[in-house]
Order: sequence, then structure tokens, then C-alpha cells
Amino acid sequence: MPLLEIHHITKDFGGLRANDDISFSLEKEELVGLIGPNGAGKTTLFNCISGLYPLTSGQIFFDGEDITELKAHEVARRGMARTFQVYVASGNLTVKENVMVGCFMNTRSRFQAGDHAKEILKDLRLKDLSEYLVSELPGAAQKRVAMATALGTNPKLLLLDEVAAGLNPSEIEEIMITIKHIHNELGVTVVLIEHVMELVMKVSDRVVVLDSGQKISDGKPMTIAKDPRVIKAYLGERYVKEHAEELG
Amino acid sequence: METIKSAFDFSDFPRIDLIIAGAVLIFLLTFPLFPLSSFAMVTMIQFLMFSLYGMGWNTIGGYGGQVDLGKAQYVGIGAYTTSVMLIRWDIPFWISMPIGVCFAVGWSFIIGYPLFRLKGHYFAIATIATSLVLKDLFESWNFVGAAMGLEISPIKYNPPDFLRLIFKDDIYYYYILLWFFLVGILYINWFRKSQLGFQLRSIKDNEDVARSLGINVRWSKVKTYAIATAFVSVVGSFHACYIKNIEPEDTMSLTISIMIALMAMLGGAGSLWGPIIGAGVLIPLKSYLKEWLGATAGLVGIDLVIYALIIMIISAFEPRGIWGIVEKVRRRKRN
Amino acid sequence: MDILLSSLAAGLLIGMVLAIVALGLTIIFGVMDIVNFAHGEFLMIGMYTGLLTAQSTGMDPLFTLPVAAIVGFLLGVLCYFGFIKFLLRGPMIAQLLGTFGLMLFLRNLALLIFGSEDRAVHHGILVGKSFDIGMSIIIPATKLAAAGLSVVAFWGIWLLMNRTKIGKALTATSLNAQGARYMGIPTERMNALAWGIGVGSVTVAGALIVNFWSVNPFIGLLFTMIAFAIVALGGFGSVPGAFFAGIVVGMITEIPGFWDFFTYTFNLEWMANVPMTSLKYMWVYLAYFLIMVFRPRGLFGWKQ
Repeated sequence: MPLLEIHHITKDFGGLRANDDISFSLEKEELVGLIGPNGAGKTTLFNCISGLYPLTSGQIFFDGEDITELKAHEVARRGMARTFQVYVASGNLTVKENVMVGCFMNTRSRFQAGDHAKEILKDLRLKDLSEYLVSELPGAAQKRVAMATALGTNPKLLLLDEVAAGLNPSEIEEIMITIKHIHNELGVTVVLIEHVMELVMKVSDRVVVLDSGQKISDGKPMTIAKDPRVIKAYLGERYVKEHAEELG
Repeated sequence: METIKSAFDFSDFPRIDLIIAGAVLIFLLTFPLFPLSSFAMVTMIQFLMFSLYGMGWNTIGGYGGQVDLGKAQYVGIGAYTTSVMLIRWDIPFWISMPIGVCFAVGWSFIIGYPLFRLKGHYFAIATIATSLVLKDLFESWNFVGAAMGLEISPIKYNPPDFLRLIFKDDIYYYYILLWFFLVGILYINWFRKSQLGFQLRSIKDNEDVARSLGINVRWSKVKTYAIATAFVSVVGSFHACYIKNIEPEDTMSLTISIMIALMAMLGGAGSLWGPIIGAGVLIPLKSYLKEWLGATAGLVGIDLVIYALIIMIISAFEPRGIWGIVEKVRRRKRN
Repeated sequence: MDILLSSLAAGLLIGMVLAIVALGLTIIFGVMDIVNFAHGEFLMIGMYTGLLTAQSTGMDPLFTLPVAAIVGFLLGVLCYFGFIKFLLRGPMIAQLLGTFGLMLFLRNLALLIFGSEDRAVHHGILVGKSFDIGMSIIIPATKLAAAGLSVVAFWGIWLLMNRTKIGKALTATSLNAQGARYMGIPTERMNALAWGIGVGSVTVAGALIVNFWSVNPFIGLLFTMIAFAIVALGGFGSVPGAFFAGIVVGMITEIPGFWDFFTYTFNLEWMANVPMTSLKYMWVYLAYFLIMVFRPRGLFGWKQ
């Protein structure tokens, strides 16, 4: 049974159709990349799946259960966690405290939450930064903290929203190791919104491509890279026409 | 058991903080044993009362970041419940106070749920509106004495009366209140490290992130609002027995609501010591300004003018309050 | 029946005046998202200004409006540059408490200067006169004039906001401050202007109201809360909203008077025990709460 199944998701904002009849499914322990040009509707899709936005139409099944009508915190409690593109760090909480918030989803005990958080921090090589306020850290570390926090909830599925944005190559390498670790060693199913192609192509088992709200391709990385629809979406129709020969 | 352990565990504070706190504690415990003016005693009792009000407010207003400016209505519920029960049915404080808390918390759930649909300014003003509604109702309700209020005459009872909390000497009130104060500190110390405390801080940071971590945002806010209400109601009940003369204009006015929020903010909202520091600075300031300046003929109100100026200056230049400054300096030193 | 009409008429008139009290608040909030607790205190200042100008110069109170307007405008700009500007940098709680401090400051300053007794207007061309428009409706001339002038002021502000360049700049800033800045509109000056107009309009309202309502240093808060309710009902930031909402709120405050009469006439003892008239403002606060919870956009507003 697939871990996540989305059937014909449509999301309208007034007159704007951000997600148009999107369907796909996800097996356990897959690592799927979600790509597409800016404004394609990727983050909107995440928000729909994780319950932050109500759907205009469509259905979502998570681990066999229909979660379409559930609110965001209920979805999270079923085992779906996520990070956000713009992670707001207000200087309110330290790294460890952040992760503890995640851990508190499954326990009321501060000691259990603390211990669990310590494990995760060690696992993600963030232990030395435990007592720093998140706002004091560089961007790359903040992203890892966000992932660690999401992991605190012991998710079955983790949705990562552009965790590599704005990072330099060595930071991207770091993040990639972390993602691979989460996927391989911790056995978490992952969906990854990304613009950094090298990252997505390297780690994904499968890639789904969105453009203008619609799903235009779904398959192995190498396959979709050659898909003319995908190329057109990124490069634009005119460029493709003009360079038709080279693109083959 | 773990709860108790957590309440007494102050180990995450730097040692210097604990030393100062200890010194203040010793001062508070021994204070009434020195010869002093009744004025000083009254000021200290007020300090303890407003510290408690502030600590309660701080749960939802400081840690939770929801600026609640309508706490006065719960002072009223606590105060009136105790007064009415004592005057009409001779019910002692220790029974009427918990009943007052029940009424207050009940009311807080009724208006809390719809109230937390709102955020920011709108929420703040709505809290004011609800408090004023209740105040106006009390001012017209004959059962509670309408605008004239209620009076507890101590001669009817035999002070010192520990059941009804009627005393002739302030020192009894002081120590009983001090006990509540200490329990309050332990509670908040537990609260800030509890699941609810962490949830609130996450909510204050970013509500969507909080939701994605399994937190039922609205329910967490409502629960915390109820906790803050309970604190305020307890002190309100005490207030009735201490002042013995309550009326809506005194106990349920907007000014009281704002004073409560103000103490916590100026001391440092969102921290354990903040409300206490805030009350510790503002109450003596207000009292002594009034003493020195207010009584001067022809200058009625000048103490409040200066007080208001101080509020304005701090709001404009250091909105994180005194404790906020301390933490800023510490972080800078560490980095 | 007559009494009902009379109440409605009274509600309408007072509503129009309350609307202009709220106008300043909605402009300031629209342009810079700050909730001004001291709003009612400016009204109080306007009332004293009108009263004292009339008393010292022998002018009729209604002609003191321009004085009140100028005083209010200058005061608003002064408050902005001297204080509000700094508050805007801080978190919301600091802003709320800061304007509360301002409220305390102005109120007690007034107490210091004027003392606590009520003062009222006693001389003037319209004072003490009223119109009988039939159906037993008697309208005090001062209230009628105030309502009329209020409508004029509203129309004037509306023209200013929508037809003049500076007004459009203000509207632009209130819709999107950053965007407006990119277009070259100087935000600082817009903020100061908003405060100037905002306070100016409420001091004018004060000068109008003092013709039929006596003043003391403490009446500010009531008007602040009424203004909040009107602004919420009409929609934060909406000028026409403030007008219509003002009328609605005016009605809400007058209907209880009718209710009391109704229960008395029909001998509805049990209902008569509910003192509606003294609760008349409570209904306003209740209305505010219900509107905010169930229809936060109000009638015309766009901010939420």
C-alpha cells in the first residue's frame, strides 16, 4: 500500500488555480523530488498535503487513511512532518529547545523530550550548537535545525521545502548527506522541493515535475531530464523551438 | 513526581541569578520583622499582588505572545465571588477562592474559544471589550452592589481569622500572600519547561510551524488563557479580603488590566523573573511618586504624569523590558 | 411610536458625530497599523480647546472649529515626530502600552491644568434652542449642527483622500507601505500627515461635541472604546465605513433609552429591571466583540 496517495488535487485562490488536478502516489521509503519553475505550485501542494490549506477538490490518503479533511496539527500527528521555505527564527528558542518542540508531540515529559532531542542533535551533527539561538546561526545550520525539529515528531513522511536554497556547494554537500542519512538510516520517506538540480537528481529515486499548477512529468531523474515537456517548462517554448536541433 | 522535580529545578539559570534570587527571597521572608512604616508594608503587599497578576498574565501574554488587556474582569470574578460568599453566606476564603477560580476559568473558556480567532491588535482590543462588558454588567447588577460595590466590615468577624482571611495587621496578609507568591513562582518554573510552555513558545514564533509539529494552536492558547485567569482570580479573591471594599471601577477597570500587562512587559515578558522585576520597579515607583508629589496641593495628578512618561519612554526605547536588556548583554558577552 | 422615532432620530444624529470621532482613528490605523489608545484624550483636548477659545474670545463655540482643527493637526504631527515614530520600531505590545502611556499622560496633564470638574458650554447662538419637526421629535439645534458639520467634514476628508494627490499618496501608503515607498512616496511624511489629519479630525469632533456634552479630564476612555467599536464595525481603514458604522453605533446607544420607555409603558416589570440605559455602552462593546469574532472585515474594510 502506498504511504501517500493524492488524487486530483485542485487548489484555487479566488480566480487563480495554483494546483490543477494533481495526482501521484508515494511508496514507503521512497525519496521523491518535486521540481518545477517558480510559481508552479510546489509549496502550495505541500501546504495542501500537510493540511494547512483546505482543498478546492481532491483527496489525500496517508497510510491508508483519508486525511483530506484533517487540520494541519492532526495531519502532523499522523506522522507527516515538514519544513518551511522561509523558516522564521525569532531568537525565541535555542537549537535544542526547537527540536524539543518537535519531540513534545509524542510525550509530555520534559526529560524524555530532552533526551530524544539530544539524540537527534547528535545524529545530525548539531550537538555543539545546542545552546545557540537559532537566529544566531548561519542559514545552512538553520535549515538543519528545521529538519531536526521535524524529525523530533518521529515522522513517517518528511516534506522538505527548498532546504538547499542559498547554500554554497560545500553546504549543499552537507545537506545532501543529512538528507541521505534521514532517508537511508532512519527510514523516513521524503519528498523534496528543490531548485538545486544537482541535489535533486543525485538523491531522488523519482522526480515529479510541476508547471503552472499541473503535473507534467513523473519518473526517474534521468528520464524526466530528457522529457521535452520538462525542458520546455524550464527553458520556455521559444528557446526550445530555436534550439530544437541541439536538444534532440 | 516529575512535575514537582521540574518545578524546583532552577538549574538552567546562571549561578549569579540564583544568588540574587536567594537574596531577594531572604529579604522578602524577613522584611516584616524590621520596624517599618505601614506605607512600606502596603507597598510590599501590592508588589506581591501585582507580581502574581503579572506572572499569570505572562503565561499567555509573555510566553504565548498574545497581548491580553482584559484580565481585570477575572480579578472582579475572584473578588466578587469571595466577597459575596462571605457577606451573604459566611463562606470562608479557602472555599470561596477555588469557587471563584472555577467561575473565572469557566468564563474564560466560554469567551476564550471565540476570542482566539483573533490575533494581534484585534485580539487585544477584543479582550478590552469583554472586560468592559463585564464591568458594566457588574455596575448595574444589584446583587453585587452595583456601582457602590461591596464592603466587608471586619468588626463582624473576629480577627485574626485565618479561615476568612480577616486580619487587623497587614503582616498576616503579607505572609499568606508571600506563600502564594512562592507557589506561583514554582508553578511558572514548571510551566515554562512543560509541554504547554514549549508549545506556546513555538506558537509565538510562528503558528504554521507550530501546527506542522502537531500543536493544536487554538486549544493551547485557550488552555493557557485559562491558567492566566486562574492566577488572576486567586489574587482577586485575596484582594477582596485585604482591601475589604470592592467596586467595579477599582477592581475591573481597564487601568487594572493594563497595569497587569505593563508590569510584565516592562520587566520582561516571556521570562520567569520579568513580571517580578516589573512589579518590583513600578509599584514602589508609583507609590513613592504619589507620596512625594501627588499630595502636594494643586499638583494632583503630577505623579501619574511622570509615571506615564516613564511608561512611554520604556515602550519606545526598550520594549523587551528590563530582563530583555539583561539577556541582550549576556548574549553579546558570550559571543 | 413617537418615542421610537425620537430615539432613532437622536441615534442618527449622535451617530454622525460619533462617526467623525472614529474617523481619525481609522485613518491612523489605515496608514500605519498602530492602535491609538490615546485617541479619546485628543477628543478631550479638542473639547477643552473649543470651550476655552469660545470663552476667552467670546466667539460662538461653533466657530472655534478651525482653531480646534489647527491645534489638533499640529498636536498630531508633534506626537508623531516626538513619540509615535519610535514606537513603530517595537513589537505590538510596546505600541499598545506606549499609546496607553500617552493616554495616561494627556489625561493627567489635563487634570493638572484644568482640574476635575465638569465644564460645559453655556453661551452660543444655538445653545438651548431646538427644532420641533413634528411627530413629537424635538432636536436640539446644537446636535443638528454638529451632525451637519460632521457630514461636511466627512465629505471633505473623502475628497481629500480620493481626489487630491496627497490624499492618494496617503491611501497608497495605507494599502502597502513598502510599495508606496518604492513609488517615491515618503513614508515618514505620510505617517506624520496621517497623524495630523487623524488628530485634527478628532479635535474638531471634540469642539463639536462640547456644545452638548460637558467635558472633564476623564471622558476620553469612553470615546476611545466607542471609536474602536465603530472602526471595527466599519472596517479598519475605511472612511465611508466609519460613517455608516458610526450611525449604527449611535443607534445602538439610543435604542436602550427607547427600550426603557417601552418596558415602562407596557408595564413589563420583569424586563424593566434590566437597566438598559445605563448599559447602553455595554452593547457597543458587545457589538464590537461579536463583529470581530464573526465578521472581522466589518462592513467595508479590507484589513484583517
